[in-house]
Amino acid sequence: MHEFFLMKSLIDTLSSIAREEHASKIISLTVKLGALSHISPDHFREHFIHASQGTVAEGARLTIEVMTDTTHPQSQDVLLENIEIMNS
Amino acid sequence: MKNDKAKIKTIKVDYLARVEGEGALYIKIKGHTVTDVKFKIFEPPRFFEAFLRGRSFCEAPDITARICGICPVAYQMSSSHAMEDAFGIRVDGQLRALRRLLYCGEWIESHALHVYLLHAPDFFGYDDAIQMAKDYPDIVQRGLQLKKTGNEVVILIGGREIHPINVRVGGFYKALTKQELNTLTEKLKRARDIALEAVRWTAEFDYPDFEQDYEFVSLRHPDEYPFNEGKLISNKGLDISVHEYDNHFIEEQVAYTNALHSKLKERGAYFVGPLARFNLNFDRLSPLAKEAAHSAGLSPVCRNPFKSIIVRSVEMVYACDEALRIIGQYEKPEIPAIPFQPIAGTGYGCTEAPRGILYHRYRIDDNGRILDAKIVPPTSQNQKTIENDLWQFIPKYLDLPSEKLKYDCEKAIRNYDPCISCATHFLKLTIDRE
Ligand SMILES: [Zn+2]
Repeated sequence: MHEFFLMKSLIDTLSSIAREEHASKIISLTVKLGALSHISPDHFREHFIHASQGTVAEGARLTIEVMTDTTHPQSQDVLLENIEIMNS
Repeated sequence: MKNDKAKIKTIKVDYLARVEGEGALYIKIKGHTVTDVKFKIFEPPRFFEAFLRGRSFCEAPDITARICGICPVAYQMSSSHAMEDAFGIRVDGQLRALRRLLYCGEWIESHALHVYLLHAPDFFGYDDAIQMAKDYPDIVQRGLQLKKTGNEVVILIGGREIHPINVRVGGFYKALTKQELNTLTEKLKRARDIALEAVRWTAEFDYPDFEQDYEFVSLRHPDEYPFNEGKLISNKGLDISVHEYDNHFIEEQVAYTNALHSKLKERGAYFVGPLARFNLNFDRLSPLAKEAAHSAGLSPVCRNPFKSIIVRSVEMVYACDEALRIIGQYEKPEIPAIPFQPIAGTGYGCTEAPRGILYHRYRIDDNGRILDAKIVPPTSQNQKTIENDLWQFIPKYLDLPSEKLKYDCEKAIRNYDPCISCATHFLKLTIDRE
């Protein structure tokens, strides 16, 4: 069930960045999945498509990088690295 | 921006998406006495019940699978069984065996995650698996390898890694060939060795002296360790068919949480999951799994919830064993699914998710549309028992600083459920000292 919260947290962040930047749309984003984040790229993508519906991130191109180092300090996290926005 | 053209820009973010707010614990302390304990969790199944209304019966397996990324198979199996129950069909023979194999995959995957990454760090005093991975990289790698094998079983049978698309009411969209299943054999043998090692390893942990007189509830099948079907039994006299579930179990609205607390009408709190299954079905384990349990000093009835980590390891041995047995006897079924016509009625399904029994009930109209759905996940069934454990547990640690107390409470909660504890530090703790 933790995907719910993960996605909510991510979409909330995307929305608030979009607001701050006066963006009308998020074109793309890159996330890094930690080696121990318990979420696979496919799974993440599917949940993202679902969760982003009706938000500023709907239809955004999602790039996912998978980290393999289990001892990395952020290996249990999902890191939003950058987003590409469109100002209108 | 006063520009005619839309502007595109890239922003570097470096934001950590964290999972928070799933669990909250409120403790009230007067002097040296605990006067209140409230444990609450958020429960997505309630949203899904509403979401399912008006949908076609055939969507239920795929929709409910989205409730949980750790145990999607359990949701698919419970919903499929409930629909088949409503329509009066039975999935038997090799199709049934394939379903069992799919379930083996999910147990291996989910248990490996819980044992190695969520639970084990507690016994070594680590904050999380990352810390443990620094000192024990090999162990964490073995856990990941085990998890991967479970994953591969689910991908192969389910057609896709998460929220498998190959499962349908009546069976599968596509039945696999023996050759396809054989590709799993060597991997499962290696996984079984790792699981046996996990039993030996966890048996040596230091366990707190903590035993309670629980009512254990699980499925019981005439000749199998339970996955997909059976009667519902307990160590305190419950012995009913899944159809009678609603006569014996009630869900209570509790003021402080939007989740419902599930109770046995007659006796109150009960305990579902690996420990309950083990205690009630020990005689149905494979010889190898039994032997592993014995040599770990584990036998029914085990009343220490902390030892569920050994039980999960024993169940991983069983799941590998059972998967190998199924593959060995497999022959491709002639049809991938039993044909049927949807009819109006009510169907019940209960299967053993890795964390315990998962109950589904659907009322269907004669067009096959869902009129209403009820889903009771293991998490809500154990919630009252978890709270009871905390009542017993907290008084011993009252004088600890709040951070340490929180850590110990999280440990007690992690005995139960990977779904609410997938994040380490998931708990919001409020201590009210008077
Ligand atoms: Zn789950």
